Amino acid sequence: MNVTSSNKKWFDELTLELRMRDVFGHAIGDAVATARELLLDTGQSAEEAFGPARAYAASLDLPRGSGHDWATRGLWTSMFGLLAFSLFVQTVGAWTQEELLLITPAQLVIAAALGGLVALLPLYLAAAIRRPWLLVLLFAVGAGCGFLWSAMTPATTAEAWISLDPLPWLLGSAIAMVLLSTWNTIQTLRRGNLDDITAPIPARPAAGIRGMRVFVMFTNWLFPLFAAIMLCVVILFTT
Amino acid sequence: MDANIPNIPAAPGDEWPSDWLRATLGFLALRALESGPSYGYAIIRELEVHGLGTIKGGTLYPLLTRYEAAGLVDTEWRPGEAGPGRKYFAVTERGRAELERLRGDWARFTNVSTSYLGATGPRKENIA
Repeated sequence: MNVTSSNKKWFDELTLELRMRDVFGHAIGDAVATARELLLDTGQSAEEAFGPARAYAASLDLPRGSGHDWATRGLWTSMFGLLAFSLFVQTVGAWTQEELLLITPAQLVIAAALGGLVALLPLYLAAAIRRPWLLVLLFAVGAGCGFLWSAMTPATTAEAWISLDPLPWLLGSAIAMVLLSTWNTIQTLRRGNLDDITAPIPARPAAGIRGMRVFVMFTNWLFPLFAAIMLCVVILFTT
Repeated sequence: MDANIPNIPAAPGDEWPSDWLRATLGFLALRALESGPSYGYAIIRELEVHGLGTIKGGTLYPLLTRYEAAGLVDTEWRPGEAGPGRKYFAVTERGRAELERLRGDWARFTNVSTSYLGATGPRKENIA
Protein backbone atom coordinates (compact mmCIF):
# COMPACT_ATOMS: atom_id res chain seq x y z
CA MET A 1 0.00 0.00 0.00
CA ASN A 2 1.53 3.38 -0.96
CA VAL A 3 1.58 6.43 1.32
CA THR A 4 -1.33 8.17 -0.44
CA SER A 5 -3.70 5.24 -0.14
CA SER A 6 -2.58 4.38 3.41
CA ASN A 7 -3.06 8.05 4.38
CA LYS A 8 -6.53 8.05 2.79
CA LYS A 9 -7.45 4.94 4.79
CA TRP A 10 -6.05 6.56 7.96
CA PHE A 11 -8.06 9.77 7.42
CA ASP A 12 -11.21 7.75 6.69
CA GLU A 13 -10.69 5.87 9.95
CA LEU A 14 -10.00 9.11 11.84
CA THR A 15 -13.23 10.67 10.54
CA LEU A 16 -15.21 7.54 11.43
CA GLU A 17 -13.70 7.33 14.93
CA LEU A 18 -14.39 11.01 15.62
CA ARG A 19 -17.94 10.59 14.31
CA MET A 20 -18.42 7.61 16.63
CA ARG A 21 -17.34 9.84 19.53
CA ASP A 22 -20.08 12.31 18.53
CA VAL A 23 -17.54 15.04 17.71
CA PHE A 24 -19.22 17.95 15.91
CA GLY A 25 -18.71 18.14 12.16
CA HIS A 26 -16.74 21.42 12.17
CA ALA A 27 -14.30 19.99 14.75
CA ILE A 28 -13.81 16.86 12.62
CA GLY A 29 -13.01 19.07 9.62
CA ASP A 30 -10.58 21.07 11.75
CA ALA A 31 -8.80 17.96 13.11
CA VAL A 32 -8.45 16.47 9.63
CA ALA A 33 -7.13 19.74 8.15
CA THR A 34 -4.65 20.15 11.03
CA ALA A 35 -3.29 16.63 10.54
CA ARG A 36 -3.00 17.16 6.76
CA GLU A 37 -1.13 20.42 7.35
CA LEU A 38 1.53 18.65 9.45
CA LEU A 39 1.91 15.82 6.95
CA LEU A 40 2.50 18.36 4.17
CA ASP A 41 5.20 19.98 6.33
CA THR A 42 6.97 16.82 7.48
CA GLY A 43 6.41 14.46 4.55
CA GLN A 44 5.60 11.71 7.07
CA SER A 45 2.85 9.16 6.67
CA ALA A 46 -0.21 9.68 8.87
CA GLU A 47 0.46 6.48 10.83
CA GLU A 48 4.06 7.55 11.44
CA ALA A 49 3.16 11.06 12.62
CA PHE A 50 0.03 10.33 14.63
CA GLY A 51 -0.04 6.60 15.37
CA PRO A 52 -3.22 4.52 14.92
CA ALA A 53 -6.24 6.65 13.93
CA ARG A 54 -8.42 5.18 16.68
CA ALA A 55 -5.92 6.02 19.45
CA TYR A 56 -5.32 9.48 18.00
CA ALA A 57 -9.06 10.22 17.82
CA ALA A 58 -9.42 9.10 21.45
CA SER A 59 -6.61 11.44 22.53
CA LEU A 60 -8.13 14.61 21.04
CA ASP A 61 -10.24 16.85 23.27
CA LEU A 62 -12.75 18.20 20.74
CA PRO A 63 -16.24 19.71 21.05
CA ARG A 64 -18.80 16.93 20.98
CA GLY A 65 -22.33 15.93 21.87
CA SER A 66 -23.23 13.63 24.72
CA GLY A 67 -20.99 10.93 23.27
CA HIS A 68 -23.59 8.18 23.31
CA ASP A 69 -26.53 9.34 21.25
CA TRP A 70 -24.64 9.15 17.94
CA ALA A 71 -25.83 5.54 17.75
CA THR A 72 -29.33 6.01 19.02
CA ARG A 73 -30.04 9.34 17.28
CA GLY A 74 -30.71 7.95 13.84
CA LEU A 75 -30.14 4.28 14.35
CA TRP A 76 -33.16 3.19 16.37
CA THR A 77 -35.59 5.07 14.18
CA SER A 78 -33.92 3.64 11.04
CA MET A 79 -34.09 0.10 12.44
CA PHE A 80 -37.73 0.43 13.48
CA GLY A 81 -38.38 1.98 10.06
CA LEU A 82 -36.83 -1.10 8.47
CA LEU A 83 -39.00 -3.41 10.60
CA ALA A 84 -42.12 -1.37 9.72
CA PHE A 85 -41.14 -1.52 6.04
CA SER A 86 -40.66 -5.32 6.26
CA LEU A 87 -44.11 -5.66 7.82
CA PHE A 88 -45.57 -3.44 5.08
CA VAL A 89 -43.98 -5.62 2.36
CA GLN A 90 -45.46 -8.76 3.93
CA THR A 91 -48.96 -7.32 4.30
CA VAL A 92 -49.36 -5.35 1.07
CA GLY A 93 -49.59 -8.48 -1.14
CA ALA A 94 -52.17 -10.13 1.10
CA TRP A 95 -54.22 -6.92 1.28
CA THR A 96 -54.32 -6.30 -2.50
CA GLN A 97 -55.30 -9.93 -3.14
CA GLU A 98 -57.93 -9.69 -0.39
CA GLU A 99 -56.38 -12.59 1.49
CA LEU A 100 -55.56 -13.09 5.15
CA LEU A 101 -52.01 -12.58 6.40
CA LEU A 102 -50.91 -16.12 7.29
CA ILE A 103 -48.09 -16.70 9.77
CA THR A 104 -46.42 -19.93 10.92
CA PRO A 105 -44.47 -20.47 14.18
CA ALA A 106 -41.25 -20.65 12.15
CA GLN A 107 -41.93 -17.16 10.79
CA LEU A 108 -42.50 -15.88 14.32
CA VAL A 109 -39.10 -17.34 15.32
CA ILE A 110 -37.50 -15.54 12.37
CA ALA A 111 -39.22 -12.27 13.32
CA ALA A 112 -38.05 -12.70 16.93
CA ALA A 113 -34.48 -13.35 15.71
CA LEU A 114 -34.56 -10.17 13.60
CA GLY A 115 -36.01 -8.19 16.53
CA GLY A 116 -33.25 -9.54 18.79
CA LEU A 117 -30.61 -8.60 16.24
CA VAL A 118 -31.93 -5.03 16.22
CA ALA A 119 -32.41 -4.82 20.01
CA LEU A 120 -28.83 -5.94 20.66
CA LEU A 121 -27.36 -3.47 18.13
CA PRO A 122 -25.80 -1.17 20.76
CA LEU A 123 -23.67 -4.13 21.95
CA TYR A 124 -22.02 -4.76 18.61
CA LEU A 125 -22.64 -1.73 16.44
CA ALA A 126 -19.24 -0.08 17.05
CA ALA A 127 -17.46 -3.35 16.25
CA ALA A 128 -19.58 -3.79 13.11
CA ILE A 129 -18.84 -0.27 11.85
CA ARG A 130 -15.10 -0.83 12.32
CA ARG A 131 -15.22 -4.21 10.53
CA PRO A 132 -16.91 -4.04 7.12
CA TRP A 133 -17.10 -7.85 6.85
CA LEU A 134 -19.26 -7.93 9.99
CA LEU A 135 -21.59 -5.32 8.48
CA VAL A 136 -21.87 -7.42 5.31
CA LEU A 137 -22.60 -10.47 7.47
CA LEU A 138 -25.34 -8.59 9.33
CA PHE A 139 -26.97 -7.48 6.09
CA ALA A 140 -26.71 -11.03 4.77
CA VAL A 141 -28.39 -12.37 7.93
CA GLY A 142 -31.13 -9.73 7.59
CA ALA A 143 -31.68 -10.53 3.92
CA GLY A 144 -31.61 -14.27 4.69
CA CYS A 145 -34.27 -13.82 7.36
CA GLY A 146 -36.41 -11.90 4.87
CA PHE A 147 -36.01 -14.63 2.28
CA LEU A 148 -36.81 -17.37 4.80
CA TRP A 149 -39.88 -15.47 5.96
CA SER A 150 -41.20 -15.32 2.39
CA ALA A 151 -40.29 -18.95 1.69
CA MET A 152 -42.15 -20.10 4.78
CA THR A 153 -45.36 -18.23 4.01
CA PRO A 154 -48.12 -20.85 4.21
CA ALA A 155 -50.26 -21.46 1.13
CA THR A 156 -53.47 -22.25 3.00
CA THR A 157 -55.16 -21.16 6.19
CA ALA A 158 -54.87 -24.71 7.52
CA GLU A 159 -51.05 -24.49 7.47
CA ALA A 160 -51.01 -21.16 9.28
CA TRP A 161 -50.74 -20.74 13.03
CA ILE A 162 -52.06 -17.21 12.99
CA SER A 163 -54.43 -15.66 10.43
CA LEU A 164 -54.69 -11.88 10.49
CA ASP A 165 -56.62 -9.24 8.64
CA PRO A 166 -53.75 -7.48 6.79
CA LEU A 167 -55.38 -4.00 6.64
CA PRO A 168 -54.72 -2.88 10.27
CA TRP A 169 -51.12 -4.12 10.01
CA LEU A 170 -50.67 -2.44 6.64
CA LEU A 171 -52.03 0.86 7.98
CA GLY A 172 -50.08 0.49 11.24
CA SER A 173 -46.77 -0.11 9.45
CA ALA A 174 -47.43 2.79 7.04
CA ILE A 175 -48.27 5.18 9.90
CA ALA A 176 -45.18 3.97 11.84
CA MET A 177 -42.95 4.66 8.82
CA VAL A 178 -44.35 8.18 8.38
CA LEU A 179 -44.04 8.97 12.11
CA LEU A 180 -40.45 7.69 12.24
CA SER A 181 -39.50 9.69 9.13
CA THR A 182 -41.13 12.80 10.60
CA TRP A 183 -39.20 12.28 13.83
CA ASN A 184 -35.91 11.87 11.89
CA THR A 185 -36.66 15.04 9.91
CA ILE A 186 -37.32 17.03 13.10
CA GLN A 187 -34.07 15.70 14.60
CA THR A 188 -32.13 16.61 11.44
CA LEU A 189 -33.57 20.15 11.49
CA ARG A 190 -32.91 20.56 15.21
CA ARG A 191 -29.24 19.55 14.88
CA GLY A 192 -28.82 22.06 12.05
CA ASN A 193 -25.25 22.10 10.81
CA LEU A 194 -23.67 20.31 13.81
CA ASP A 195 -22.97 17.19 11.75
CA ASP A 196 -21.68 18.92 8.62
CA ILE A 197 -17.98 18.22 8.22
CA THR A 198 -16.66 21.56 7.05
CA ALA A 199 -13.12 22.62 6.19
CA PRO A 200 -11.79 25.41 8.45
CA ILE A 201 -10.99 27.45 5.34
CA PRO A 202 -13.84 26.45 3.02
CA ALA A 203 -12.78 25.36 -0.42
CA ARG A 204 -16.05 23.58 -1.18
CA PRO A 205 -18.92 25.83 -2.24
CA ALA A 206 -21.86 26.09 0.16
CA ALA A 207 -24.02 24.42 -2.50
CA GLY A 208 -22.20 21.14 -1.75
CA ILE A 209 -23.26 21.29 1.89
CA ARG A 210 -26.82 22.24 0.94
CA GLY A 211 -26.89 19.28 -1.45
CA MET A 212 -25.72 17.01 1.38
CA ARG A 213 -28.51 18.33 3.66
CA VAL A 214 -31.13 17.69 0.97
CA PHE A 215 -29.71 14.16 0.57
CA VAL A 216 -29.97 13.53 4.35
CA MET A 217 -33.58 14.77 4.30
CA PHE A 218 -34.28 12.47 1.36
CA THR A 219 -32.82 9.44 3.19
CA ASN A 220 -35.12 10.21 6.15
CA TRP A 221 -38.08 9.47 3.87
CA LEU A 222 -36.71 6.44 2.00
CA PHE A 223 -38.93 3.82 3.65
CA PRO A 224 -42.26 5.66 3.11
CA LEU A 225 -41.14 6.45 -0.44
CA PHE A 226 -40.26 2.82 -1.24
CA ALA A 227 -43.49 1.68 0.43
CA ALA A 228 -45.55 4.09 -1.71
CA ILE A 229 -43.79 2.90 -4.89
CA MET A 230 -44.35 -0.74 -3.89
CA LEU A 231 -48.05 -0.09 -3.18
CA CYS A 232 -48.46 1.56 -6.62
CA VAL A 233 -46.68 -1.33 -8.38
CA VAL A 234 -48.69 -4.01 -6.55
CA ILE A 235 -52.00 -2.23 -7.25
CA LEU A 236 -51.02 -1.78 -10.91
CA PHE A 237 -50.17 -5.46 -11.39
CA THR A 238 -53.18 -6.69 -9.40
CA THR A 239 -55.66 -4.67 -11.44
CA MET B 1 9.27 32.75 17.63
CA ASP B 2 12.94 33.60 18.21
CA ALA B 3 14.77 33.78 14.88
CA ASN B 4 18.23 33.65 16.48
CA ILE B 5 17.89 30.25 18.03
CA PRO B 6 21.15 28.34 18.05
CA ASN B 7 20.77 24.95 16.44
CA ILE B 8 21.47 22.58 19.28
CA PRO B 9 20.57 19.13 18.06
CA ALA B 10 20.76 16.34 20.54
CA ALA B 11 23.58 13.89 19.92
CA PRO B 12 22.76 11.34 17.18
CA GLY B 13 20.37 8.79 18.57
CA ASP B 14 20.13 10.80 21.78
CA GLU B 15 16.53 11.07 23.02
CA TRP B 16 15.20 12.13 26.38
CA PRO B 17 13.21 9.52 28.26
CA SER B 18 9.67 9.70 26.95
CA ASP B 19 8.14 10.06 30.42
CA TRP B 20 10.29 13.16 31.06
CA LEU B 21 8.99 14.72 27.85
CA ARG B 22 5.42 13.68 28.66
CA ALA B 23 5.68 15.47 31.99
CA THR B 24 7.20 18.66 30.61
CA LEU B 25 5.74 18.99 27.10
CA GLY B 26 2.80 21.07 28.34
CA PHE B 27 4.80 24.03 29.55
CA LEU B 28 7.45 23.59 26.86
CA ALA B 29 4.72 23.99 24.23
CA LEU B 30 3.37 27.07 26.02
CA ARG B 31 6.92 28.42 26.09
CA ALA B 32 7.23 27.85 22.34
CA LEU B 33 4.14 30.04 21.88
CA GLU B 34 5.22 32.73 24.35
CA SER B 35 6.83 34.96 21.73
CA GLY B 36 3.88 34.80 19.33
CA PRO B 37 1.40 32.57 17.51
CA SER B 38 2.83 29.53 15.79
CA TYR B 39 1.71 26.37 13.99
CA GLY B 40 2.26 22.67 14.61
CA TYR B 41 5.40 22.01 12.57
CA ALA B 42 7.05 25.26 13.75
CA ILE B 43 6.42 24.30 17.39
CA ILE B 44 7.93 20.86 16.77
CA ARG B 45 11.01 22.44 15.09
CA GLU B 46 11.34 25.01 17.89
CA LEU B 47 11.52 22.26 20.52
CA GLU B 48 13.82 20.19 18.30
CA VAL B 49 16.40 22.94 17.74
CA HIS B 50 16.49 23.56 21.47
CA GLY B 51 17.63 20.01 22.01
CA LEU B 52 14.35 18.63 23.35
CA GLY B 53 14.04 15.90 20.71
CA THR B 54 11.48 15.37 17.97
CA ILE B 55 7.90 15.55 19.23
CA LYS B 56 5.36 13.69 17.12
CA GLY B 57 2.16 15.27 15.90
CA GLY B 58 0.28 12.49 17.71
CA THR B 59 1.72 13.82 20.98
CA LEU B 60 1.58 17.56 20.34
CA TYR B 61 -1.91 18.05 18.89
CA PRO B 62 -3.83 16.17 21.62
CA LEU B 63 -2.05 18.38 24.16
CA LEU B 64 -2.94 21.53 22.22
CA THR B 65 -6.60 20.49 21.90
CA ARG B 66 -6.70 20.00 25.69
CA TYR B 67 -5.13 23.43 26.17
CA GLU B 68 -7.60 24.97 23.76
CA ALA B 69 -10.52 23.38 25.65
CA ALA B 70 -9.01 24.68 28.92
CA GLY B 71 -8.66 28.21 27.49
CA LEU B 72 -4.84 28.25 27.64
CA VAL B 73 -4.46 28.67 23.88
CA ASP B 74 -6.55 30.16 21.08
CA THR B 75 -6.51 28.98 17.50
CA GLU B 76 -6.91 30.72 14.19
CA TRP B 77 -6.77 29.41 10.63
CA ARG B 78 -4.83 31.56 8.21
CA PRO B 79 -4.89 31.03 4.45
CA GLY B 80 -1.68 29.46 3.12
CA GLU B 81 0.33 30.96 0.29
CA ALA B 82 -0.07 27.87 -1.88
CA GLY B 83 -1.47 25.20 0.39
CA PRO B 84 -4.81 24.85 2.14
CA GLY B 85 -3.93 27.05 5.14
CA ARG B 86 -2.35 26.83 8.56
CA LYS B 87 -3.77 26.54 12.03
CA TYR B 88 -2.01 29.00 14.34
CA PHE B 89 -1.98 28.52 18.10
CA ALA B 90 -1.62 31.55 20.39
CA VAL B 91 -1.18 31.51 24.13
CA THR B 92 -3.97 33.36 26.02
CA GLU B 93 -3.57 35.50 29.14
CA ARG B 94 -4.68 32.50 31.15
CA GLY B 95 -2.06 30.40 29.35
CA ARG B 96 0.65 32.93 30.15
CA ALA B 97 -0.31 32.89 33.83
CA GLU B 98 -0.20 29.09 33.78
CA LEU B 99 3.21 29.15 32.09
CA GLU B 100 4.56 31.52 34.75
CA ARG B 101 3.24 29.30 37.51
CA LEU B 102 4.69 26.14 35.94
CA ARG B 103 8.01 27.86 35.19
CA GLY B 104 8.38 28.77 38.86
CA ASP B 105 7.33 25.31 40.04
CA TRP B 106 9.74 23.67 37.61
CA ALA B 107 12.65 25.89 38.71
CA ARG B 108 12.01 24.99 42.35
CA PHE B 109 11.69 21.30 41.50
CA THR B 110 14.92 21.20 39.46
CA ASN B 111 16.78 23.11 42.19
CA VAL B 112 15.62 20.67 44.82
CA SER B 113 16.35 17.58 42.72
CA THR B 114 19.73 18.90 41.48
CA SER B 115 20.69 19.76 45.02
CA TYR B 116 19.65 16.33 46.22
CA LEU B 117 21.42 14.52 43.37
CA GLY B 118 24.63 16.50 43.97
CA ALA B 119 24.64 16.08 47.72
CA THR B 120 26.64 13.38 49.45
CA GLY B 121 23.88 11.98 51.55
CA PRO B 122 24.15 9.82 54.65
CA ARG B 123 24.49 6.11 54.08
CA LYS B 124 21.32 4.09 54.43
CA GLU B 125 22.47 2.50 57.67
CA ASN B 126 23.05 5.96 59.21
CA ILE B 127 19.53 7.29 58.49
CA ALA B 128 17.95 5.59 61.47
